[in-house]
Amino acid sequence: MTFRTFTLLMVSFALAARSTAQIQINLDSLASKAKESVEITLDSSMLKMASNFLSSEKSDDAKVKSLITGLKAITVRSFKFAQEGQYRPGDLQPIRAQLRAPSWSKIVGVDDKDGRRTSEIYTKTDQGKIVGVAILSAEPKELSVVYIEGTIDLAGLANLGGNFGIPPISIPDQKKPKGKE
Amino acid sequence: MVSGAIAREADAAGRGNFSMNMEDQLRETLRRRDPTVGFAERVAARAQSGHRAKPVRRLRGLWAASVLALAAAVVLTATSLWQRAQEERAGRQAVLALRIASEKLSQARSKVLWRTENQ
Amino acid sequence: MGSPEAFVDLVQRHQSMVFSMAYSFLQDRSAAEELAQDVFLELHRNLASLQSRLHVVNWLRRVTAHRAIDRQRKFRFLTPLVEIKREPVAPAVQHDPILTEVLGQMIASLPAKQRMVVILRFQEDLDVADIARTLDMPERRVRSYLHWSVALLREKLTRRGGGISL
Repeated sequence: MTFRTFTLLMVSFALAARSTAQIQINLDSLASKAKESVEITLDSSMLKMASNFLSSEKSDDAKVKSLITGLKAITVRSFKFAQEGQYRPGDLQPIRAQLRAPSWSKIVGVDDKDGRRTSEIYTKTDQGKIVGVAILSAEPKELSVVYIEGTIDLAGLANLGGNFGIPPISIPDQKKPKGKE
Repeated sequence: MVSGAIAREADAAGRGNFSMNMEDQLRETLRRRDPTVGFAERVAARAQSGHRAKPVRRLRGLWAASVLALAAAVVLTATSLWQRAQEERAGRQAVLALRIASEKLSQARSKVLWRTENQ
Repeated sequence: MGSPEAFVDLVQRHQSMVFSMAYSFLQDRSAAEELAQDVFLELHRNLASLQSRLHVVNWLRRVTAHRAIDRQRKFRFLTPLVEIKREPVAPAVQHDPILTEVLGQMIASLPAKQRMVVILRFQEDLDVADIARTLDMPERRVRSYLHWSVALLREKLTRRGGGISL
């Protein structure tokens, strides 16, 4: 094997590894500044345990159980701050850099003019199936990152908001639905 | 600005429905839920076996074996309970994680729809 | 009510109520199932003395409430299974899953009798008189516990909301 061939092989292995590697989310420095934080990290073994616990008989549990079947990992980092300016927009850049890998596509990107509110959704596909979702959400006093690895039903996940007594989010400047029933 | 409109609407809704929102939230938090599948059958089985139970006679020669069996049962039960607690913790975390994901998806969708309708 | 099948039906009819009271009180699924089982076993022993369906429902609520409070005295710990660190900020107008979790833990941190009053009022929709009968408590005390508990929960949530009232 020539040196050139070896180098090409190593580069392709590295690219392949990068495209299949989990997204690394390191926002630990924000936890100490947040007034409230939710940090959830579930790997495949914990997801299996979760699936054992959730009941197929109850509709709410069954929907979640169905969604987590086929998942390899779920990571959530969600921070709420007492004041604005407790995090920098650049805190999300290392995550965005990873989501620029060839296997990832940005399917939603909404931000206001001064960039203080952003919503971004990225998906990773493999042979036409969604095998990863990353959601980045930034508000003046809130920052959330959700990363889901594995085969996920995105429509089912979006519609989950109709369960557990959570009404669908309405469009701003329309009246919001009251109550849960 | 979108943020100002949302904040004013949220504040007005909060003031106008002070006690109802809290009661709604308490009812939502305390909504009824079911035990695990087969609960009624397990209870009935225990109730039936309890009625048919015979007094246990202690035999000297089996005392040590009984103690060991009891100890093993305690360890197994503790392990089983710990496992169950771990499963429950993972289950609740999974539910919360997906709820948050769903909420963020919905928010993004709402923003896109709002932008589309206001362009 | 002699046959096992009839008893299974009876348990299935009321298991949600008994389990939910226990779970809302203890915030531990395993402990709640254990307590609910004990309640139904006691029901099985006392079936002959119960006269009507309404009597069964009232009896179950009463026994569940008292057993939960007694259990709390024996096991004075509560481990939340999902840690929500620090205190939440402005509660959303629409139902917020994190808020629901936090409020559940706040309710579970109330003193035992006050906690059960809140559960009987907002989960079981009992009025003050029924709560008083269930817990063997004067109505005046039920009103006081209810007022105090809801005010405390509201104050905790509102304080964390930075001025937005819930």
